[in-house]
Amino acid sequence: MARLQIEGLCKGWDFPVIDRLDLTVEEGEFFIVVGPSGIGKTTLLRLIAGLESADAGRITIGGQDITTLPPYKRPVAMTFESYALYPHLSVFENIASPLRARRLDKAAIRKAVTDVAKLLRIETLLDRRPGEISGGQKQRTALGRTLVAEPQVFLLDEPISHLDAKIRHELRLQFHSLEELRRVATLYVTHDYAEALSLGDRIGVMGHGGLVQIGTARDVFMRPRSLFVAQHLGQPAINAVAARLTGEGAALQAHAGNTSFGFPVVAAHAAVLARGDCGQVTVGIRPQHVRVLHNGEDAPGHHVIDAHVEIYEALGANGVLVADAGGVNLTALTSLERDFAHRQPVRLALQTDSVFYFHADSGDNLLL
Amino acid sequence: MAAIRLTQVNKIYRSRGHAVHAVKDLDLTVEDGEFVAILGPSGCGKTSTLRMIVGLEDITGGDIFFDGQRVNDLDPQARNVAMAFETYALYPNFTIEENLSFPLEVRGVPAAERRKKVHDLAALLRIEDILGQKPAALSGGQQQRVSLGRALIRDPAVFILDEVMSHIDAHLKFQMLFELKRIHRELGKTMIYVTHDQVEALALADRVAVMSNATLQQVGTRNQLYHEPVNVFVADFIGEPPTNFFPAELDPAGDQPVLRAKNAALTFSVAAERGQRLAASGQRDFVVGLRPQNLRLDGTEVGEPPPGGTLTAEVAINEYVGERTVLTLVADGHRFRAQAHAETTLGRGEQVRLRYASSDVMVFDAKTEALVA
Amino acid sequence: MSEQTARLIRTLLLIFLGLWLILTLFPLYWQFITAFKSAAETNRTIPSFWPEVWHFENLVSVFAEPTNFSALVDSFIIATGNTIASLVLGSLAGYAFARFPRQAGGENLAFWILSNRMFPPVAVLVPMFFLFDAMPWGTDSYLSLIILYLVFNMPLATWLMMVFFRDAPRELEEAAYLDGYTPLRAFVKVTLPLVLPGMISVAMLCWIFAWNEYLFANLFVGTQVRTFTIVIPTFTHGSQTLWNLQMAFSMIAMLPPVALFILLRRYMVRGLSLGVVKG
Repeated sequence: MARLQIEGLCKGWDFPVIDRLDLTVEEGEFFIVVGPSGIGKTTLLRLIAGLESADAGRITIGGQDITTLPPYKRPVAMTFESYALYPHLSVFENIASPLRARRLDKAAIRKAVTDVAKLLRIETLLDRRPGEISGGQKQRTALGRTLVAEPQVFLLDEPISHLDAKIRHELRLQFHSLEELRRVATLYVTHDYAEALSLGDRIGVMGHGGLVQIGTARDVFMRPRSLFVAQHLGQPAINAVAARLTGEGAALQAHAGNTSFGFPVVAAHAAVLARGDCGQVTVGIRPQHVRVLHNGEDAPGHHVIDAHVEIYEALGANGVLVADAGGVNLTALTSLERDFAHRQPVRLALQTDSVFYFHADSGDNLLL
Repeated sequence: MAAIRLTQVNKIYRSRGHAVHAVKDLDLTVEDGEFVAILGPSGCGKTSTLRMIVGLEDITGGDIFFDGQRVNDLDPQARNVAMAFETYALYPNFTIEENLSFPLEVRGVPAAERRKKVHDLAALLRIEDILGQKPAALSGGQQQRVSLGRALIRDPAVFILDEVMSHIDAHLKFQMLFELKRIHRELGKTMIYVTHDQVEALALADRVAVMSNATLQQVGTRNQLYHEPVNVFVADFIGEPPTNFFPAELDPAGDQPVLRAKNAALTFSVAAERGQRLAASGQRDFVVGLRPQNLRLDGTEVGEPPPGGTLTAEVAINEYVGERTVLTLVADGHRFRAQAHAETTLGRGEQVRLRYASSDVMVFDAKTEALVA
Repeated sequence: MSEQTARLIRTLLLIFLGLWLILTLFPLYWQFITAFKSAAETNRTIPSFWPEVWHFENLVSVFAEPTNFSALVDSFIIATGNTIASLVLGSLAGYAFARFPRQAGGENLAFWILSNRMFPPVAVLVPMFFLFDAMPWGTDSYLSLIILYLVFNMPLATWLMMVFFRDAPRELEEAAYLDGYTPLRAFVKVTLPLVLPGMISVAMLCWIFAWNEYLFANLFVGTQVRTFTIVIPTFTHGSQTLWNLQMAFSMIAMLPPVALFILLRRYMVRGLSLGVVKG
């Protein structure tokens, strides 16, 4: 069985980029690595592909140690962020390339390439050169070249990040429905959290040195292990407020220093938080858990605070409101129909049972 | 400060007997202080339009006016237009302050005035604390702001941004959009933003000009483009996830005409008065457009549902994206999407009923692809 | 700028370009008409700008000496041989410098190679002669000039090819490795086609240098092997220089490079219009 296994992988240049990384991707699993640009996601793929050599650690595929094998002997296929199509060859020849490398006979190559092209709906483009097709078509050609190779591990580097929204959705569907991709271990790298959440069987959030958290989409979004994870997933970014926990037991309060911002901690959270020594914390509140109340509206189960509008902008599908709540700036999501003026007083309803509490120094989620 | 007017502007590139009509009969007005985005897929003519406004490209036909003055034959320098590119080269061996004040120095602005201008601009862009640093020390977002500053420092009448954010990380991009909008509001300058990304265009601009195939398709506010797209192209291009389309036939039977999806049992009901208008047009073939946001899982809406109808479909894919879920559904061979709450855990193969409001059903002519009112 | 000044500048520019054109084309014109003059006409104190009688037979009489034609063949063999050797060695070295700068000896070695072109050739003329004289192939052979011209052409080829290889995206080669090609096959299948247009330009430069070289050829060869450049000065009659035959022969010698350029030009142009990676 061809599972991808990485143990204690290290790679660095002037500073460590990947530091003792452990990861297992099962056969048939679609694993997504998400993280900010320049954090080392591509380096991880290049190490697995053999385009970089590891400083330490072991990479095995289906039990076979490939750590020191040259790239052309590894059972992996990879798409590049730049697509890396051969400009002097036709789409057909680009896709056929891995089969030519294995010196398959002509008829077999023709059949395999045509099948893959049909699957990706690029069968009418086979005679064109990469310079003559659109970005989405280039991406499909690049994908075709990896599919036809029938590898044991797929490595996909930002395959759809630079395409138009419409094509992105279309290709996202394709990734969902391609049986070929779902049969083997796939490692997919992106900086777009929405892409990661929507596509991944499991998701690894990459921070400095390695994977900070591994879990299902709902896991990493709803139970982030650290402030870093919470900040990287979600748009607009989560509100992070430095606060102090005061009081005891059921009367536990969160209070931001030098401001009047504060709210009672819900009992379920208080029970966990009271156990540790965690006076100083960072409170994380997602913008969609801050509701801007209409005049006279009630919000049972929420903590309501008075605030002033700092900035309001209609952005895409939602309005984004930044309000000054007693000295703390909170971002909230509103519907587009509403409008707010600068300094206008508003009432915000905090969904306190969805608030996260992170350690002030380490950023660890204290509720886990 | 300037208002810009383009009348019947054409651009034709000729080379070796080939003629490429890059911009066709473009009419567009940008008011003084307005933020307008030109949006379209690559090759739609938006960059040619922008280059003609700036003066980097000759105008084949038509006129461009700045505040009523014809600028067709003016050099770019004389038009007082500033342009920011995706990567605005900063001098690596200069500090940020020196980088910003350099364009002023070249124009012979006295030192004291330069200092004041740079510091005012830095305050606006919120980069005061990095003025002493070199470009290499800055983050991507900071570099982007300094780049904007480089273009803004000259105090141009018109400010043009060309795909300035296409390679910024998603979570940084959101912040940048927010900042850019604030900067525009505080400066009150005429801005034109060129992009292929509808999210950026809709988020930033007062009005968006949608281009395709060298032709302006529609100019309008976000709401106009969203609710009254003039044709299938605009309906398809604007909105995320993309709009669902169903080729359909008008079934005039009975007193309430309905649109029936081709080869399927799916029907779309429209208001009686609208249905009669469709029937009266004599046409039978239409295309129905329905946005995923307007297809709600039956039972999840609050209050009395508006008049409309329901569709029954099977879930093919459930895409969880944190704040929401996108469902891909299949019914009678038609594939379409609906947006649902993040908590939706419906999986592959489950049957669902979706409700839509008749007023959200967009109907297009099957042949001309134009919106049928 | 007013329309009038614009027109003035345009006119001045055209006059300048016209003068420039006359200056560069005049020698070619002079070569052409001299090639068809009689010997007497070429020696007049007041030159004629058009032949009185067209002596087309000059083109034939240059081959009265049968070895003159074989001199063209010898030049061709030497130029082509040297070009192939320069390209093979220069490409491999350039590739190494472009992809593995540290392992290949770094900037210093690359500069040292280029420095070979910096000394005046005449300074090494005599030492080279003795050096080659001591070699098994001697001085008067094809191999001697093929190898000697490497001194000038290989640094050029190495440096230009290094630049072309640097411009060829490394990712394409990496994609080829992942397709299953060994480094050598990836080089041949992917990298080489990408730099081919550049390579053709380098080949033309090398070939033209070797074809036209006179200084070393004059000293090294002459008996077993003769290049056309050392044949040209032999068209004399007693103490009189036969300008017409020299021009006729050199005109014939111009044809191969011109033909080569016309033949290869379209490959050089096509290379530039290939879209690489994503647009």
